[in-house]
Amino acid sequence: MDHAPITPTTTPRSTTPPPVSAPPATAGPAMTARGLAKRFGTTTALAGVDVDLDGGRSLAVMGPSGSGKSTLLHCLAGILVPDAGTVTLRGREVGTLGERERSLLRRRHYGFVFQFGQLLSELPAIENIALPSMLLGANRRQATELAAQWMHSLGLAGMEQRRPGELSGGQAQRVAVARALITGPAVVFADEPTGALDQATGAEVMRVLTETTRAAGAALVVVTHDATVAGWCDESIEMRDGTVVDRGVLR
Amino acid sequence: MRAVLALAPGLHRAGGKDTQLTTALGVAAFAVTTALTLSVVGGLLGFVGREAQPQTAFQAEWSDIYVVLAWTAVVLLGVPLLTLGGAAARLGLARRDARLATLRLLGVTPREVVGLTLVETSGQGLVGAALGVLLYGLLLPLWALVPFQGSSFAVGELWVGGTVVLIVLLAVPLLAAVSGAVSLRRVVVSPLGVARRQRPKGMSVIRLVVALVGIGTFIVISTALGSLGAAAFVFLVGSLGLAFATLNVVGPWVLGLLARIQLRRASTPARLLAARRLLDDPRAAWRVVGGLGLAGFVAGALAIVPSLAAASTDDADQQLLLTDLSTGALLTLVIAFVLAAVSAGVAQAASVLDRRREYGLQHLAGVPAELLDEVRRREVLGPLLFVVVGSTATSVLMFAPWLGLTGVSSPGGMVMLAVCLTGGVLLVLGAVESTRPLLRSVLRDPVVRAD
Repeated sequence: MDHAPITPTTTPRSTTPPPVSAPPATAGPAMTARGLAKRFGTTTALAGVDVDLDGGRSLAVMGPSGSGKSTLLHCLAGILVPDAGTVTLRGREVGTLGERERSLLRRRHYGFVFQFGQLLSELPAIENIALPSMLLGANRRQATELAAQWMHSLGLAGMEQRRPGELSGGQAQRVAVARALITGPAVVFADEPTGALDQATGAEVMRVLTETTRAAGAALVVVTHDATVAGWCDESIEMRDGTVVDRGVLR
Repeated sequence: MRAVLALAPGLHRAGGKDTQLTTALGVAAFAVTTALTLSVVGGLLGFVGREAQPQTAFQAEWSDIYVVLAWTAVVLLGVPLLTLGGAAARLGLARRDARLATLRLLGVTPREVVGLTLVETSGQGLVGAALGVLLYGLLLPLWALVPFQGSSFAVGELWVGGTVVLIVLLAVPLLAAVSGAVSLRRVVVSPLGVARRQRPKGMSVIRLVVALVGIGTFIVISTALGSLGAAAFVFLVGSLGLAFATLNVVGPWVLGLLARIQLRRASTPARLLAARRLLDDPRAAWRVVGGLGLAGFVAGALAIVPSLAAASTDDADQQLLLTDLSTGALLTLVIAFVLAAVSAGVAQAASVLDRRREYGLQHLAGVPAELLDEVRRREVLGPLLFVVVGSTATSVLMFAPWLGLTGVSSPGGMVMLAVCLTGGVLLVLGAVESTRPLLRSVLRDPVVRAD
């Protein structure tokens, strides 16, 4: 079946930070995956996984090491191409796009928050946040102004010129959240976003991540092995040996 | 101490493919440095030998000038050679620092960390020096083809001798170890020094003062040369070396200044990133472009040669001297440019490996590989043009009291400068572009855990 590829928008999209208490901006399925399978050599990482993501909702992907949760995130995010199965974004097949199209897709429609290291060490916080917007065509002044609004809304005002090395772990992750959301993505992928943080800071980062993503109307996928972190999400799936063994609605 | 040092080979192997590649680059850089150093010293010894035992009337009469010119070439190439050697010792610094900082957190003492570094870098230096001696041996027949003083050198005349080889085999690992240990200060002072990267310290304007003093000293000495007599050549060559070395001091400071200007004007992501990177670590940028800056300095000094060579003379001896002067200048320039390109390529390759995780995560987040290429190109091109023009102009200015402005006012000198500098810039850019496949392989191997 032919699907029209997700194509980049011609004008730069950027979103002003929504108030975190606002209701979801959009509703309905943002992303659907059916029968995802992936092998690495003789190891089966995914064996027929189905996922449904709604805009403004969050999904925790849980499981022990080696269960396939990161592979699932990478297949959903277009980082890996699944061996079998489909991934659709807003009704369009994106799982089998070419490398270049998948890069464009990630840049324009997805946001990412990794455990650590995604901020560029040479750039001050505000420019780290502004960069994705500039990559989509916004000029430096517009992008910087927007980044300043995001910093203000996430409690980072006054830290604009700090380098990542001068921020605490929690502050750096909040910068990463702002950076992931500044372009108004359809889906935000977070891979162990609190893995390098203490419990209290991790909880604060999860609060900011889930509330801000929900308010922006984006779907959120959080890969974690920590039940406390998963507790911040609306739904969860539990993985073992590349398959989903449990699904739950948390809120 | 012994128990920790015994860990060195295992720790090195644990670094995996990247560490092996970085080590190979370091060894290759040490080998090129050693081979070219021995070649240059061999040339000097060849002329010294002919001065001591002249075979022809020409050699008896003119050999002393050749020795002075050979010394000048040694001085001019000395700094680029040291720069490449230093760059080799600092290869993979971020990766090694992170590894050693982890050991410091585990309770390894500063002394033991220094010990580990000494073992690692001196080992690389020794292997590189040994390969360099072999490479020098292979190059000898090539150097022996170049005619000087009316006849080519015999291979034996250009052979530096066992003692010099032994000295090099000791000196290169020693210099590598010292350079590696100096670069470790941050880790030794605090194990968190590299774990939490902070705003880099600015560089003092004293660097500019040092450079002006160095250049001024040379201008004063070269101006007074006539009244001081032939012995002043020693001072002249010495002060030339001093002035030349000061370019290494002022270079990073000037690049920091350039970065601030570029940052203010940056309107695209590539320009912004390139300017920020340059501002973040101008010393690293200098390690990439400094080689060509120093080559530009050499070119500026030698721009006089075509004018001299073009001066027709009926005296056969003088004609031969001028021809040899051109040959020597060309040889010096070729070596300087090869060194510059190797320095740039090695530094860029090391930078790609050091930034592996950063590049991988940016690419995963949708940053196109072409943008990363553009940033790397811009990061080098701006400073490169600035440094080449600046160092050539400095050199012309420095030599003006001694040689006048003939070099840059004559068509021959201008053509030589233009050809050399354009060729040099293209060579360095080519070296930077040659690391593109390495970046692609880094991006193809994303930070993906198969769990």
